[in-house]
Amino acid sequence: MGWKAVDRQTSPIPRDAGPVLSAEARAKIRGFLDRYETRRGALIPALHVAQESAGHLSLQVMKEVAECLEINPADVLDTTSFYTHFWTHARGKKVVVVCRSITCQIMGGDEVLEAVKKQLGIGEHDTTSDGKYSLITEECLAGCDHAPCMLIGERLHERVKPENVPAILADELNDMIDVPRSALYDGVKPGAG
Amino acid sequence: MATFQPVLTRNYGVKDSHLLSVYREHGGYEALSKALAMGAENVVEEVKRAELRGRGGAGFPAGVKWGFLPPNRKVTYLCVNCDEAEPPTFKDRTLVEKDPHQLIEGILITGYATRTTAAYIYMRAEFHRQFHVMQRAVDEAYAANLIGPNIMGSDFKMDIYIHRGAGAYVCGEETGLMESIEGRRGWPRIKPPFPAVEGLFGKPTVVNNVETLCCVKHIIEEGADWFLGIGPKGSKGPKLFAVSGPVRRPGVYEAAMDITCRDLVFGEDFAQGLTEGEELKGVLPGGISMGILGGDELDCKLDFDDVRRYRLLGLGTGAAVVVPKRTDIRTVLLNVARFFAHESCGQCTQCREGTGWMAKIASRIASGAGRIEDLDLLVEISNSMGMMPGMNICGLSDGAGWVVRSVVEKFRGELEEKIKAQPAGAAERALRQINPAYYEGAARVSAR
Amino acid sequence: MPTIIIDGRHIECRERISVLQAALDAGLNIPHYCYHPGLSIVASCRLCLMEMKMAHPQTGELGWAPKLMPSCQTPVKEGMEVRFNSEMVASNQRHVMEYLLLNHPLDCPVCDQAGECMLQDYALKFGRATSRMVEPKHWNAKKDIGPHTLSYQDRCILCGRCVRFCREVAGTGELCVVNRGYRNEIDVFPGLPLTNELQGNVVDICPVGAMLDKKFLMSQRVWFLESAESVCPMCSRGCTIRVDHNRRRVWRLKPRFNPQVNGWWMCDRGRFCSGLIYDDRRLRQPAMRRDGSRVPLDWKDVASMVRARFEEAGKLEGGKQMGIVVSPFMSCEEAWLLTSFIRQVAPNAMFAVLPSPVRGEDEIFPTGSPRERAKFVISAEKAPNRRGVEKACLQAGGRHSSYEDLLAEMAGGRIKTAWIAAGSPESSGPSELIKAAGRLDYLVVQDYLGGVLSGAANLVLPMCAWTEREGSFMNEGGLVQRFQRAVPPPQGLMQDGQYLFEIAGRRGVFNAGRVRQMMAESGMAEFQAVHEAPVGPVHAH
Repeated sequence: MGWKAVDRQTSPIPRDAGPVLSAEARAKIRGFLDRYETRRGALIPALHVAQESAGHLSLQVMKEVAECLEINPADVLDTTSFYTHFWTHARGKKVVVVCRSITCQIMGGDEVLEAVKKQLGIGEHDTTSDGKYSLITEECLAGCDHAPCMLIGERLHERVKPENVPAILADELNDMIDVPRSALYDGVKPGAG
Repeated sequence: MATFQPVLTRNYGVKDSHLLSVYREHGGYEALSKALAMGAENVVEEVKRAELRGRGGAGFPAGVKWGFLPPNRKVTYLCVNCDEAEPPTFKDRTLVEKDPHQLIEGILITGYATRTTAAYIYMRAEFHRQFHVMQRAVDEAYAANLIGPNIMGSDFKMDIYIHRGAGAYVCGEETGLMESIEGRRGWPRIKPPFPAVEGLFGKPTVVNNVETLCCVKHIIEEGADWFLGIGPKGSKGPKLFAVSGPVRRPGVYEAAMDITCRDLVFGEDFAQGLTEGEELKGVLPGGISMGILGGDELDCKLDFDDVRRYRLLGLGTGAAVVVPKRTDIRTVLLNVARFFAHESCGQCTQCREGTGWMAKIASRIASGAGRIEDLDLLVEISNSMGMMPGMNICGLSDGAGWVVRSVVEKFRGELEEKIKAQPAGAAERALRQINPAYYEGAARVSAR
Repeated sequence: MPTIIIDGRHIECRERISVLQAALDAGLNIPHYCYHPGLSIVASCRLCLMEMKMAHPQTGELGWAPKLMPSCQTPVKEGMEVRFNSEMVASNQRHVMEYLLLNHPLDCPVCDQAGECMLQDYALKFGRATSRMVEPKHWNAKKDIGPHTLSYQDRCILCGRCVRFCREVAGTGELCVVNRGYRNEIDVFPGLPLTNELQGNVVDICPVGAMLDKKFLMSQRVWFLESAESVCPMCSRGCTIRVDHNRRRVWRLKPRFNPQVNGWWMCDRGRFCSGLIYDDRRLRQPAMRRDGSRVPLDWKDVASMVRARFEEAGKLEGGKQMGIVVSPFMSCEEAWLLTSFIRQVAPNAMFAVLPSPVRGEDEIFPTGSPRERAKFVISAEKAPNRRGVEKACLQAGGRHSSYEDLLAEMAGGRIKTAWIAAGSPESSGPSELIKAAGRLDYLVVQDYLGGVLSGAANLVLPMCAWTEREGSFMNEGGLVQRFQRAVPPPQGLMQDGQYLFEIAGRRGVFNAGRVRQMMAESGMAEFQAVHEAPVGPVHAH
């Protein structure tokens, strides 16, 4: 009797699945614990590191983060699902974020978005078939003095013109920033020490 | 309008201004020395005397805020609000990337004055470049004993951590920010208890904006009298104004708050007017939450109080975007309504459902299927939400309602004209297509 | 006791509570969702907003503040004046109700909550007749979140009570909120379903039909249900409950508020125990053993038969060779009727109380908290009335022994006539008894389920389920609570109290209240008060 209900009782994580986060990634995550009074306080930095290490925050990764910090997995799901920066499904190697707030819209952001869609052949929230690019729009990236803006990886592209979009997307270094970096929130790729 | 030597943007043009050595060459960390010699209570007094009002949007007097901390506290936290997500604000971004040590010095002075144990710089996730610049500046400062167990050789100790956000505008609200640092969803808290008494991790906490803390450094360096010498009554000190849109010189400008909107957009020392071929329709001068000024309202002074005479919610962040005549006002309406629907945290009923509904209505109007009664409906929904009338827990709802109402009221003429210009029956047809069940009275078939 | 003014009415209230709670205590039906007296205050539904008189910041004059305040968040203060009967408050209520119904499905005809739904009730009183949204509603999934519970998220109004319950009362935190803004939903971590021992309470506290009990799903319309006051029989805690029944069948059990015992809650084992009433193994009629086979008895013969036997046995040394095992599953009245009858005919009979089954340790909730801060405790002792039955035995006087000693006497052949009341609803009589009973001449067994013990008896008297009897239980804290009869016993069975009444030689119909009066008159003071004051309201929301 009743409607068919989505099963939440069975775990979609395969029983025999090996860990996704390496021991080094977990150690890095635990390193945030002494910056906060509670274990939960380290969660958002942990999710950043986990996302950068694993590519996205699958249920399995969320569970591993929960185990690593010794907190409730439901709390990890609660926090992760709130924030737009955290991806719970697979994303491309690079994420193209086109700003859609007021200044960028006035300065031609819609045309830039169309150009990106056309160049990559995908729509919003999609990923290219070669797994290279995902495309989303976001609210104000605080680059309004150089509108319209587009964030690729860590680099903010400014005063983007639709006709320049193909060249920007073709550039292998389009996500590299021009300043020395801090590795504090970086992911730990497998095999790294 | 009075002029003064800029202080906040003083180092913007200096090469490598983000480096500690360069900052020091330009007088950096002398204010901190001075503060350490003055004593904490005197620092608080000086800031109170200077009438420094918060530059994050609310304009609450900083010294008064610090005064709420209970005297017998053991732990104090300072949260630095670098979430800057209010469209079209970008002033804190420039402060952080061009002069990070100015902020660090402001944090240290404030931390010293309030006996802070640890400061968290809450920086939004999208500030990638700014994070790297800031973190390396913090690392430099630690290495130079400017942060840590015995700052500048004194017994003042404090830590500074950068806590990166993850893409939520509501985490710029002070209690939403604290929830986020604690690893939770950014749902603002009910008050009481107030953050000064029970804030981050339940401890006494002060939350201040980046620009406010930078002002603290200058108040200690130059003195409260200098600060009081800038700007009109009730709105003292230099303020950063960000201008964007189709203007000749978009960017950040440091000015006293007796500047008018007209000066800011058209002034020779400021944005220098609109670009070739563009004409002004309106300006949103405070960040979108504050509302819109019509083309005939540009003499509005951009201080904390005069703005209310023009029915703006407040000065906000002082970030102005110029809306040109070529931009359909329906696009503006949709843009702001959609922003708040996307960013509402979802706790309070009116904001959660109201912002979603307003976005749906604005979307329909923008697609050419609006009705005149939709405009009245939008105003009614706006009036039903807000922290100030007590309806909701946080100020996001005030902004959401205010801007929609502001655009509808001040540009009613254009909106009605555009709606009437829709092909006859367009709204009716579109509604039948969008929501056939509503119109045919059929029950929704469950296909899940 | 401060006095506050609500809508012009002076109301005396408890200290340190919210204005909303004071109003509810005074019988004012202020609409609210997220507030619950057993959970923390979040003030997120925004429905309970009120106007308050405050001093003007400049002039100091008292006037209605232009700002609404949540009544759930505002503590009472002597002399404060608030009002709900204003246009500003009513306008907010209308808006909030419209917003809550904005994306809510038109499920009333198929929703369990209909008839006891706070959305229906408040929409009728405080809301609008129509929704003005012409765009399509957005929709959230229906989820199977646990072995007992469904979560139909399209109906959820995000009051957050269920999430707070799991965090604050159960301490297990399986439920969480996901997504942001108007896409907010309640969910569990997939693979970690809602399984804590108290989870059934989230269905109680859900104001709408979002949290649903799988067993009760679409089985009854609540307006057909009648409620009987009752007490949970599954452990010695004795949570105050009510039994909802219709057409002679029990459909569900719900807790009633009792600050002394269970607060607002009950555990799953108690909540779902009504299935035991329909166990196939139940004894169906009185019977006796004749020539090695089981012969059904007519109820009208039972009393005289039993009386004759026991009076006879009582004459021998005053009944020194008689042993009575009293069950902790019997009610106080039943125990008293039995023991006072035996004492009358056999002053030297030996009494013992069957030990209650014990499972593990007391379970304290929230999990991991110390006992002093417990919000709910499930007792390890899994019988409802050991203390009541012990009191009745003691009162009857005479020889008391431990259960082990009585068993030894039986095994040693020194007991010849025995009455054993077992009565566990989950298993029939314990095996050591059966062994010891081998040397008896005459054995009466009173039990709930048929099994080896009843098979060994000369006379079998079936016990009824507690929903089929009226009586009282004394819990581990000494509190006596009465329970009413909800449904009649199955065909062929008679209420225990009735046949014990007749066996005790009394005339008429068994009435638990009257028996309690007799017990009080015979010196058992605990039973005076029960007769006079019922415990708790029958319907607690």
